[in-house]
Amino acid sequence: MQRRHLIPTIALLAGLVTTSAFAQTTLRVFSGGANQRPDLMRKLFDQYQAANPGVKIEIETGGATSELQRQYLSTVLNAKDSAIDIYMIDIVNPAQYFGAGWLEPLNAYLGNPADVMKPYLPVYAAANVVDGKIAALPAFADAMFMYYRKDLLAKYNLPEPKTWDELAATAKKIQEGEKNPNLQGLSIQGAPIEGAVCTFLLPYWGQGKEFNDASGRMTLDRAAATRGLNQWLGMVDAGVIKRNVAEVRTPDTVNEFKAGQVVFAINWGFAWDRFKDDKDSTVQGKVGVMPLPAMPGGRSATCVGGWQWAVSAFSKNKPAAAKLVQYMATPAASKFLAVEGSLMPTYQGVYTDAEVVKAVPWFRDAANVVIAGKSRPLSKDYGQVSDVIRTTTSAVLARTKKPEEGVAEIEARLARVMR
Amino acid sequence: MLDRLRDPSERTLGLLLLAPAFLLLLLIVVYPIGKLVFNSFFDLRLSGGGGPKFVGVENYVLVFRDPDFWNAAKNTVLITLITVPGALVVGLGLALLANLPFRRKWPVRLALLLPWALPLSFAGLIFAWFFHTEYGVVNDVMRRLGADEPTMWLLRPGWAFTAICLTIIWKTSSFMALILLAGLQMIPRSLYEAAEVDGASRWQQFWQITIPMLMPSIVVALIFRTITALQTFDIPYTMTKGGPGNATETLAMLIHKTTIDYLDVGYGSTLAVCMFVLSLFVTGFYIRRIGRNA
Repeated sequence: MQRRHLIPTIALLAGLVTTSAFAQTTLRVFSGGANQRPDLMRKLFDQYQAANPGVKIEIETGGATSELQRQYLSTVLNAKDSAIDIYMIDIVNPAQYFGAGWLEPLNAYLGNPADVMKPYLPVYAAANVVDGKIAALPAFADAMFMYYRKDLLAKYNLPEPKTWDELAATAKKIQEGEKNPNLQGLSIQGAPIEGAVCTFLLPYWGQGKEFNDASGRMTLDRAAATRGLNQWLGMVDAGVIKRNVAEVRTPDTVNEFKAGQVVFAINWGFAWDRFKDDKDSTVQGKVGVMPLPAMPGGRSATCVGGWQWAVSAFSKNKPAAAKLVQYMATPAASKFLAVEGSLMPTYQGVYTDAEVVKAVPWFRDAANVVIAGKSRPLSKDYGQVSDVIRTTTSAVLARTKKPEEGVAEIEARLARVMR
Repeated sequence: MLDRLRDPSERTLGLLLLAPAFLLLLLIVVYPIGKLVFNSFFDLRLSGGGGPKFVGVENYVLVFRDPDFWNAAKNTVLITLITVPGALVVGLGLALLANLPFRRKWPVRLALLLPWALPLSFAGLIFAWFFHTEYGVVNDVMRRLGADEPTMWLLRPGWAFTAICLTIIWKTSSFMALILLAGLQMIPRSLYEAAEVDGASRWQQFWQITIPMLMPSIVVALIFRTITALQTFDIPYTMTKGGPGNATETLAMLIHKTTIDYLDVGYGSTLAVCMFVLSLFVTGFYIRRIGRNA
């Protein structure tokens, strides 16, 4: 009887001693939505807690999409709320949040930006440094990939296309050969969702053009942007992309590719696991990944996503928070997320790590795609920038606006925001 | 002072009893509206974190010059002008149908209530599927009837507008029908019996008895429906998100986009004040009409 009481008593006493011996710091972390895998982040936090007994980490999760999370965080940060110490934010957000004075510059805790950011993939090193200050550290990467049916290209003995024209010709040949009226050559997202921002940017960047300069000022080349949109419309006319492309959302592309109705599909990194693992996927083992085609005379470029860790400017535990952020952005953490959750590394070296390649073989090819990636326009009003680009792109793809009208509209509407 | 509170006169007691309700109104109606009007004079963008900046009537000048505002206002007024009479006609038909002497009344009443009980956004999502180019039942029926090219309902401005109006009419006519049904049941049977004795046809009975007797119910239903029509948000938001482009964007959607997506609270408040004035104007018009009728 007495022994049964003894152990809890000792545990309790030990607990009291620990709490009094170490000043306990509680860090509260906003860890994104379900797609950002808070379950895996929790495991990393547990490891950190075990190594740092003085720190206790609580997590909070939020909306499913980047837009919903931004709306929530903007409200919290406007109120200068000190309850949350660390935020996980989308790659489109560091510029806005830092510009608003919501993020603690990390230079004082980590060191000189050039040295700290050097090991990361260049696009993340660039997006997380604002005005010479480290605004956040990369958590994991993501990018738009070109998925394709390896089996169909092999069947018709066709190589991976290098330009959009080659891709259209390849798709056409397969569509004609298969005689399946439901087979789409290429699936892109044309509905007015975040993916449509990339749909606008991919053929534009593919011509070697930039949407904005380093200071965030818009550098839109109207002729190139019009050519980019015409490129998609030409593929719609040729029957490579389906006519109601302006209705296509991210899950539509995934589901139709899984059902074997698509030859080429552009989508985020998460789609790979859906094609490979989902029970209703008819394309298991038949999927390849390749760099996005370029426009004539241009170079391949993709749209980069991904998530970052940032310390709140209103936190009361900034040094402890910065230390945790540093830990979450190490190669070891990056490797853990890659092996356990197929979350893409932010270090080039991790892509070729033996354990990572064993767990996720396609990452070997993915590294090159992410390295060639570019981030979407960085602006403190990204919500508006994104809305203008996706709504207009969708209207052009629905053919309710001419490409040149759409581009002029994007320029006029963003002139005030991106200056 | 204390004595007066302890043994209040009729007048003081009245005021004391009114006070809680008045305070509540102040808190949940007057304060928010006042704050909204106050905010509309500021440049208040949450994306910048710069804090509010007084700009006077600049926001109102911008609204006046904003093509998006006029486009949304036009769409809102058009939706109101189409769906309010539409719902009235369909609702009246449904009410007359439900008023027939069925042996079992509850299945008819239930059928009337269901669309009304459905959340607006559900209705929008359901009809978005109906009108989907590839998976929608509307195009499936049309294909079976011999149409060879599927219509892209929600991608053509005119068709998208039509689809949205049809959905709103479907959703709101049951509310109309419920109010009109209540009105129909108040009409004494003796009037119809007397008309029959006088040899009036069914048609004459409808126009000479039913419609005039139903007028008060019709006016009430119209007021409610018009005010909610001016606030149309859920159905176009879930069906088209205002698209293609902003061809089906309503005022409420523009306010939501400006405030929630763009985080521009100042300008969003200005737009909301403009919409408030529009609603006030329309309601005032109705109230004056009723005053005259009474």
